[in-house]
Amino acid sequence: MKPAQFFLNALVFSVAVSSMAVEARTLIQNKGSDTLVNVAQAWAEEYRKVNPDVAVAVTGGGSGTGIAALINGTVDIANASRRVKQKEMDLARSRGQDPVKHVVAYDALSVFLHPDNPLDSISLEELAEIYGEGGEFTIWPDVGVEVPGCKDQTMILVSRQNNSGTYAYFRKITLGKRRDFRLGTRDMHGSKDVVDLVASTSCAIGYSGLAYATDHVKMACISKTKGGACANPSVATASDGSYPIARPLMMYTDGEPAGEIKNYMEWILSDAGQCIILSKGYAPVRDVKCD
Amino acid sequence: MFAATELNQRDKNTQTLFRMGFMLVTALLILPVLLILATLVYKGGSIISAEFLFGDPTNGMREGGIFPALYGTVWLVAVALLVSVPLGVAAAVYLSEYAGDNWFTRVINLAIINLAGVPSIVHALFGVGAFVLFFGIGTSILAASLTLAIMTLPVVIVATRESLQAVPREFREACWNMGATRWQTIRRVVLPNAVSGILTGVILEVSRTTGETAPIMFTGAAFFLPFLPESVFDQTMALSLHLYVITTQVPGVPEALPFGVALVLIGMVLLMNSFSIALRMWLRGRKKW
Repeated sequence: MKPAQFFLNALVFSVAVSSMAVEARTLIQNKGSDTLVNVAQAWAEEYRKVNPDVAVAVTGGGSGTGIAALINGTVDIANASRRVKQKEMDLARSRGQDPVKHVVAYDALSVFLHPDNPLDSISLEELAEIYGEGGEFTIWPDVGVEVPGCKDQTMILVSRQNNSGTYAYFRKITLGKRRDFRLGTRDMHGSKDVVDLVASTSCAIGYSGLAYATDHVKMACISKTKGGACANPSVATASDGSYPIARPLMMYTDGEPAGEIKNYMEWILSDAGQCIILSKGYAPVRDVKCD
Repeated sequence: MFAATELNQRDKNTQTLFRMGFMLVTALLILPVLLILATLVYKGGSIISAEFLFGDPTNGMREGGIFPALYGTVWLVAVALLVSVPLGVAAAVYLSEYAGDNWFTRVINLAIINLAGVPSIVHALFGVGAFVLFFGIGTSILAASLTLAIMTLPVVIVATRESLQAVPREFREACWNMGATRWQTIRRVVLPNAVSGILTGVILEVSRTTGETAPIMFTGAAFFLPFLPESVFDQTMALSLHLYVITTQVPGVPEALPFGVALVLIGMVLLMNSFSIALRMWLRGRKKW
């Protein structure tokens, strides 16, 4: 076949293929936060079974990317682990967009301890001394307790691998943006591993999503400063903001959602959607019953 | 008849030394390629199966196959080629056969060289600004492929122009002397003799297009898409972006998976290239000089 002929054929073929796609299929564009991207992907994967006529295209890139795309009008739903800034809101309004916030989950982290550990509450300041580089606390008596069964009372720090969102958020809230974790933490590949290790190690302290808590570990009550009022991790305290290591995860739509986008948002907030949130290690926005 | 003098021997030794030296350097160049392939096959070979190639990703992309990404990459490359090859060849024909050496062609040549030097992420931003937003195509295969096409246009133009210029001038002159017009000469004599060189450009373009992640990330490729693209106006998954995503974004991916995806990506490039290389060899066999 001559090249010119080949290209002509290919062109005809691609036009033919394009024109075949006349059947109605709604496409929802969903872009943004890397924290939410895996949950968003899980929702999209599952929603295909709920409504095969609707396809959800998921893209990551970060909260900023999603919000910018919403301002440009190239996405239907923007995922964000932070609120839209006033500047972004003004820009969106000036372009005729109206970002509407939907809180779809809470990212609440629990600090896990072995059930034998007598410690009940801990402050963010103390956590910084325990986890931070150059921190002063390395043994349990430093926070005023003696852990039975823990040889030489040395704390065993359980952490996450450094590309984990949980890792980043825990670091930001306890250590600040600049300070690093101390060397020698046990970095687990998954929230479940953290909980399992803490459950079997009396010297250990670890952090993970509230959803991963089991009966074999104890969760510390968290206060901002030492001696301050502490809050126990729960869906309720995460939702009302009294728990210090929780942040809302949001989806923004342009105006109040309508049509298939509305159906999708409603499904996300339904038990089915919220159970996926729970299974991914985040707190749902309300109490749900899951299998 | 002549015994080798000491001088002859020294020349010969130097000769051997340099030959060995250059050979060693060449061997060192092959080493990374072999190491990469060996690593990929060793770590990812076990995951390759029909199910992996033709299945959908499941369980948050930690299991199942990669077919949507594989299929999407074929689309992206095909549409990019459809755009850039005709454009690139036409531009090269003009530059090589029609254009005189004046300021206009010099500006064009400068532009081509500069276009080749622009980083792919800049092409990505251009693609978002021009195709997705300005022309309102939206994030789609078309926008992504147009971005890729523009990025690889210099490769096609330069390869084509060089292969056109490699066609001996006597061929053209003989043709003109028979009374053929310029276009008839190009159509019947110059282009057919330059096809193998043009294919070289296409090979280079295919390789680059398949592997690029940045230009498609914002213009048409999705993190996850629960359907296969049906037209150029759909978004798509792509192998290169899929590889990036499963290595950096998705926790708990089994180790073999990213290596398997990389192996498929390289295998695909090799397959497409070997097709073009076979075609090129066949065409070269028909060359008349």
